[in-house]
Amino acid sequence: MRTDAPSVSANGVATATPKPAPRRRSPALRKAFPYLLLAPALVYLLVITLYPGIFAIYQSLFVVKFLNWEWAGLGNYSSILQDREFWAALGNTALIGAISLSLQTGIALAIAYFAYRDPFIRGWRIVYLMPMLFMPSAVAFIWKLAFNDGRVISDLLGRLGLIEGNMDWLGSIPLARMTLIVADVWQWTPFLFIIFVAALQGQDQEIEEAARLDGASWPSIFWNISLPMMRPVIVVAITLRGIDITTMFTNVFVMTQGTPGGATETMSYFIYRQGFRMFNFGYASAASVLMLVLTVIIAQTVVKRAFHSGKK
Amino acid sequence: MASIHLQNIEKRYGGFVGVQNMSLEIADEEFLVLLGPSGCGKTTTMRMIAGLELPTGGKIVIGGEEMTEIDARDRDVAMVFQGYALYPNMSIYENIRFPLRMRGVPASEHDARIRQAADMVELGGFLDRKPGALSGGQRQRAALARAVVRQPQVFLMDEPLSNLDAKLRQSMRVQIKHMQRQLKVTTVYVTHDQIEAMTLADRIVIMNKGAIQQVGTPDQIYSDPANTFVAGFIGSPPMNLIEGTAQNGTFVAPGVTAPCPEYVRGKVTLGVRPEDCHVGGDNVQGMVYGVEPTGDTTYLTVLAGTKKIEVKAAREYRSDIDVPVAIHFDPAHLYFFGEDGQRIRGAA
Repeated sequence: MRTDAPSVSANGVATATPKPAPRRRSPALRKAFPYLLLAPALVYLLVITLYPGIFAIYQSLFVVKFLNWEWAGLGNYSSILQDREFWAALGNTALIGAISLSLQTGIALAIAYFAYRDPFIRGWRIVYLMPMLFMPSAVAFIWKLAFNDGRVISDLLGRLGLIEGNMDWLGSIPLARMTLIVADVWQWTPFLFIIFVAALQGQDQEIEEAARLDGASWPSIFWNISLPMMRPVIVVAITLRGIDITTMFTNVFVMTQGTPGGATETMSYFIYRQGFRMFNFGYASAASVLMLVLTVIIAQTVVKRAFHSGKK
Repeated sequence: MASIHLQNIEKRYGGFVGVQNMSLEIADEEFLVLLGPSGCGKTTTMRMIAGLELPTGGKIVIGGEEMTEIDARDRDVAMVFQGYALYPNMSIYENIRFPLRMRGVPASEHDARIRQAADMVELGGFLDRKPGALSGGQRQRAALARAVVRQPQVFLMDEPLSNLDAKLRQSMRVQIKHMQRQLKVTTVYVTHDQIEAMTLADRIVIMNKGAIQQVGTPDQIYSDPANTFVAGFIGSPPMNLIEGTAQNGTFVAPGVTAPCPEYVRGKVTLGVRPEDCHVGGDNVQGMVYGVEPTGDTTYLTVLAGTKKIEVKAAREYRSDIDVPVAIHFDPAHLYFFGEDGQRIRGAA
């Protein structure tokens, strides 16, 4: 049957509406089309991520004195692995990150547990989110003022009768690290909170009711049922936050500059110091590459393991 | 094992009345089905018995103890949910074990009781699986086992079969009934499926718009409906309800005449079940609208005036459409309802 035959309506009268000729794309365009769609994302990836990454790897193989590049092979890497400051920075990052992340997760879970059944949660969710909405450097300055320059916290604690006079927050290693942890917890707990609340609210209410009828208390429901069901979400959230914390820079730069005695120097700050204070670009690049590798390995293992055992 | 008394219970959500002034006695060991269309308040009623919702008025007594304000976890009530509500992170074994753990049953008894419950629903071989690895029917049986294992006073089942396919539903239905008879546990079962209600129930409670329409055995509900709602809701296809007028012992509607008792007068509705209509005779003069053979019977739809009347015809009955046809009603099975929808009964 010819497709361009006049169509005949049910009562047998031919209607004279000709079909428009089907449009055809040129074969070349049809082949190129998927690549055209991918192009913006690829260009973005190349310019923002891939090029700097490859450049860093390349640079890490040289001793760089501004325009004077000297081939060093894996020399930078071997000196880094013998650099006590590098290992100290790695330890600081791990310690500050681990404490901060545990606190954030614990607090966020606790608030989420109490808040998710609240019908008004939608209304005050924004209040929880506020700290996250501020610029990180502004937050860092606020905490710097509160702890050190403005002595707000000392004053408050003094009025509560907990301490006398002014605390020198940068005078002791644990206290200096604590100021970084407080600032990070304050700003980023809401991120975890919002994810955990969403996960809890997304859980099937029938399951909670079934547990209730089975005789479980609210804490027991949370511990035995809600929390295990949230596991994949918790893992992803902690991984994201963990990556963020590993690269913690702003707070260190603004609040402590790594003092006292390098006790608050994180990996990012170490890299910054090597690159932009001491201008050891090759060395800084090598440290960056090491850190990238480390982060990827940890994140991969954590996520893989969490999802694998979750499926069994 | 316990009886349940609902005394004038009521549930309001702001201005909306979910259940109004409902009183009901459920006997010990009884299988009671709450039946009605969606939104009729049947699930709300069950949730109030479970303690998942608090009534805004009235009293709930289970096993002689007032339970109105008692929390769900402290009522000895087990519930099977429409969506199974199994704990996805636990194996079937742990799922069944959960109520035992939560209720402080000695750990030494757990294993025997779990296996007994699992065997009862023929799930013995699946205990180490996670719910996600089971089919719908297996999940529902796991949910049943979880309800059975702790030997509660009352079973509540909220449309437990509605997520299953038709064939599975039939076999699960029998299994539930068998189990209830075996365990002799008072059971309240919510459904919108009248076949489930008819086959399972000792007594059926038909609800509509938050109020009880009729309470009775399946036979009573079927053969003695209290009003047009019950008459139209029960039966498949449902009862024919024909609006007309009655005078001097005769009911008249377009294309329909039928004898009626002397005390039926004025504007009334005649109810007649499709199986009490027969081809031939003189009660209806109409046209064939459609013929639907189903294998064991043939449904004939007759157009009388503007009213379509369903007839359960002989299995081999066939006809073209728009052919004149006459229908005869079985005079012993005619029901008359007043303008308010209530059944008109004789002074006797």
